[in-house]
Amino acid sequence: MLDDPIANLLSDIAAQDRAAFRALYTASSAKLMGVLLRILGQRSEAEDALQEVFTRVWLRAGRFDATKGRGMTWLIAIARNLAIDRLRSRHDTTSDDETLAALVDHAPGVESRLVAAGEARRITDCFATLEPDRAAAVRGAYLDGHSYTDLAAKHDVPLNTMRTWLRRSLLKLKECMEA
Amino acid sequence: MTDPMISATSEEEDDLLAAEYVLGVLSLPDRAMAEARLRADAAFVTRVNAWEAHLEGLNDEFADAPAPDLMPAIEARLFPQAAPQNAAQHAAPSGGWFTRIFGLGLATLTAAAVTAFLLLSPPAPSFKATLTADASPLRYEATVVGDTITLALLGGAAAEPGYVHELWLIVGNDAPISLGLLTAPTVSLPAIAASAGAVLAISLEPAGGSTTGAPTGPVLVTGTLAAT
Repeated sequence: MLDDPIANLLSDIAAQDRAAFRALYTASSAKLMGVLLRILGQRSEAEDALQEVFTRVWLRAGRFDATKGRGMTWLIAIARNLAIDRLRSRHDTTSDDETLAALVDHAPGVESRLVAAGEARRITDCFATLEPDRAAAVRGAYLDGHSYTDLAAKHDVPLNTMRTWLRRSLLKLKECMEA
Repeated sequence: MTDPMISATSEEEDDLLAAEYVLGVLSLPDRAMAEARLRADAAFVTRVNAWEAHLEGLNDEFADAPAPDLMPAIEARLFPQAAPQNAAQHAAPSGGWFTRIFGLGLATLTAAAVTAFLLLSPPAPSFKATLTADASPLRYEATVVGDTITLALLGGAAAEPGYVHELWLIVGNDAPISLGLLTAPTVSLPAIAASAGAVLAISLEPAGGSTTGAPTGPVLVTGTLAAT
């Protein structure tokens, strides 16, 4: 809670405080617009998405948990997820069978270690441990909303190769972040 | 280093799936399935939160972009009675009449749906389900009478322009069957294979509905049919 004014606003919003909701818009709409505009590319669509993001924020604020992450991180996750869903429904929606199989076959109840928010700053250092083209693929996915299909085409490799690359890079990143 | 594609344990597999979801590389159906996991599996939520924290350092690279003041439109969406003028101004063209009905209040809408139901189908329903999702205002009531299923929107909003709510029936482990598109607040459709215990789901699809024969958009609400 300390030093996270966005988290404080979210807890007020969870209590139906509309003034806090307006204050949150003032404090975060430019950042969220930046996220939506970068991924969606079109201002009119980004503005429409921004309305949807704030609608979701009002409805879901009660689910924000300040002990699990920063307020702005939570807001950006909502904006990115919405933008990526919209981007995907614009393009093809072919499913990757292997990913589907992975989704169906899961082991329940495994706890994973939560990393303190401050540690995230080291991501820049950790990217340096990856080969440059693989680091670029991870960043392109996160910042520009590239799918596996987009990345495979961009880097001119088969889809499964891209998937293996990316999964290895993610494991390496995680190892570095948690070291 | 071992090949994560071949030797990943299910624990690693879950963690990689969480990473792929947060990174945003999955296709829409795979994202919808990951989101279904998020609603049902607390350990998976923890994994997703951890990956959001791992990658949040990248958020600094999103440059600010000035946003116009969209608060009036947002408040009109969320609080239709508190801001009637805004609601009228900002309602989407095709949703205008619905917004006006909604503006009259949920009770009126419910009463209208119940009246329509009583007029249309005198015999007692054979199956019913309420379709909902956590933390979503969207709520549909499904009623099966004979070979007809009637869906009434009781809460939340119809799909935005360019999108439609599509109704699916899932029996056991079978693939979902499309029962049709919900293009109005109350819609009656042929009830193919409806039975007690069958699951109804509504997905968000592009206008015209899914073209693949399977849900392509996020699943918005679900419910299980029970005999009445």
